[in-house]
Amino acid sequence: MNRTPLPHPGAPAAHALTAPKRRRTGRVVLTVLAVVVALAFLVPVLWLIASTFRSSTETFANSSSMNWHMLWPAHWTLENLRSAVDNGFLRNLANSVIVAAVTVVLGIAISAMAAFALAVVDFPGRRIVFGLVVLSFLVPFEAIAIPLAHTFSDWGLTNNFPALVLPGLGNGLAIFTLRQFFLGIPPELAEAARVDGAGWPRIFLRIYLPLTRPALIGTGLVLFLFQWQAYLWPILVTTSDDKDVAPVAIAKTFAAFSSDYGRVFAETAVLAVIPAVILLGLQRYFVASVASTGSKN
Amino acid sequence: MTLTTHHPAGDGAKPPPLPRGTLQRRRLLGNLSAAAIFLTPALALIVVLRLIPVVQAVNDATHTSLPGSTLPPRYVGFDNFTALFSSHAFWSSVQQTLIFNVLVNPLQIVLALALAVLLTQNLPATGIWRTLIFLPAAVPMTGSAVVWGIALRPDGPVNAALASVGIHQQPFLTGQGQVLGSIILIASWIGVGYWMIFLIAGLNDIPTVYYEAAAIDGAGPLRRFWSVTLPLLRRPLLFVLVADTVSNFVLFAPMQILTDGGPQGKSNFLMYDIFHNSFELSDPHTAAAELLVLLVLMIVIVAVQFRLLRSAEES
Repeated sequence: MNRTPLPHPGAPAAHALTAPKRRRTGRVVLTVLAVVVALAFLVPVLWLIASTFRSSTETFANSSSMNWHMLWPAHWTLENLRSAVDNGFLRNLANSVIVAAVTVVLGIAISAMAAFALAVVDFPGRRIVFGLVVLSFLVPFEAIAIPLAHTFSDWGLTNNFPALVLPGLGNGLAIFTLRQFFLGIPPELAEAARVDGAGWPRIFLRIYLPLTRPALIGTGLVLFLFQWQAYLWPILVTTSDDKDVAPVAIAKTFAAFSSDYGRVFAETAVLAVIPAVILLGLQRYFVASVASTGSKN
Repeated sequence: MTLTTHHPAGDGAKPPPLPRGTLQRRRLLGNLSAAAIFLTPALALIVVLRLIPVVQAVNDATHTSLPGSTLPPRYVGFDNFTALFSSHAFWSSVQQTLIFNVLVNPLQIVLALALAVLLTQNLPATGIWRTLIFLPAAVPMTGSAVVWGIALRPDGPVNAALASVGIHQQPFLTGQGQVLGSIILIASWIGVGYWMIFLIAGLNDIPTVYYEAAAIDGAGPLRRFWSVTLPLLRRPLLFVLVADTVSNFVLFAPMQILTDGGPQGKSNFLMYDIFHNSFELSDPHTAAAELLVLLVLMIVIVAVQFRLLRSAEES
């Protein structure tokens, strides 16, 4: 168990005998701290899941005094989930899935193309265009959503999927991240392909996209989360219940059933499980893709 | 990185040799048209989604109309702004927004940084702890807001937990003195894990040789954090600082779903107030003027953050 002395908190090697022991104690303390913090973040999720599988009366009966039934239902029931399904939540969920899926596919294509031009193709004014793209994403979408909604309704673009998808496509962070990755690919590859007579589209599709698959997945996650979370924009451009995305449906349920929260818990749990599962599988791509965000060119 | 330094040579046999100037110009034109094609969708989206709304906001802010009237809006110059600036409710909204941001941003970043450092210490099962802390970021904001709204009810589990240690019932979202703290709690439960991931990625990028050198020099953990980690983490930290500030300035769902800006306007942050003016009071002109104020405020604050961190980098 002789680990190389990595830079971890611990005493300098001067006290050869006490140092390893002290270091081990430090590690135990830090581990306990990590576990406690992680559980603190997890408890609301556990409460949400438990509340999904019990009646609302039980939820509040058990929370008037602290006991373990707060996080573990005494009587399990699927009533809340059924109530959500019966009231058309699957329709809202499907809307969210469609909007997110279309956004991810088109968004990756658009961002990757732009990032490719900004990282690889040498043209005059490239720096200016890149600056414009970065600036554009410093203005958060939510801040200009309200005037944009007026424009969209002037154009007759309300209550349909294009209106919901469009804002998710123009993502400066995605372009920025992919550009960083493209810059990391040796330009000699593109140069060699050009000498062999390949055009830019071919270089893009055959060299750059296959080599940056992790970054593309990470970008896809960013685009997915943006749409999956979207709330302000959907309430601005949709008015009919059957076009509502799932987060809007939850807010409406919450506002309408202030005495019976079972359905709210069930809908939220379903809406949360999907990204949680995706992220558990793809988290390393997410970490890898955000890693380049803060690094220098 | 640039291709201009390479000359289009190396294919001696096939094409008839053209004068160098022609070749270069042809290549430049080829690159320009390729760049134009590749960039068109993204630039079109930027124009439609970022530029047009700002123009629309300026237009809305300088006009006025009666609600429901069919007459075209009338140009009024800066009248909407002067009306806004003399409104007590507006200044109280600005004040609440600034107080909220001054509290929430440092808190979230310090927590995210502390957790990022903790979870890059090679502890057992680090991946699991990271994932659990990141998990709330995956729960859609609406869901988090709703669940916390229920948890913070007078008869909810948070008050039950407090009761078990002898603290009597707290109003949380309906208490003038507590609503800000409650929103900060909700926003931080969602945000801290998300920003932590960016900082973990940044920490992983720091070459271990710096730590080894510092350890040889006898620097303790705190000294290493100040002299090695912080300086080398400046870029990811700047990104997180700016992105977190921006996202907290436009935080909207918790107020719209849980507090309606109340009680007594204590959570009536600018972003919610703009929505409220625009849709509930049907006054898009005041809302647009207010939106421009919010945009200017955000740009100033982000610029200051950039400046501060850059000057820190130079010193």
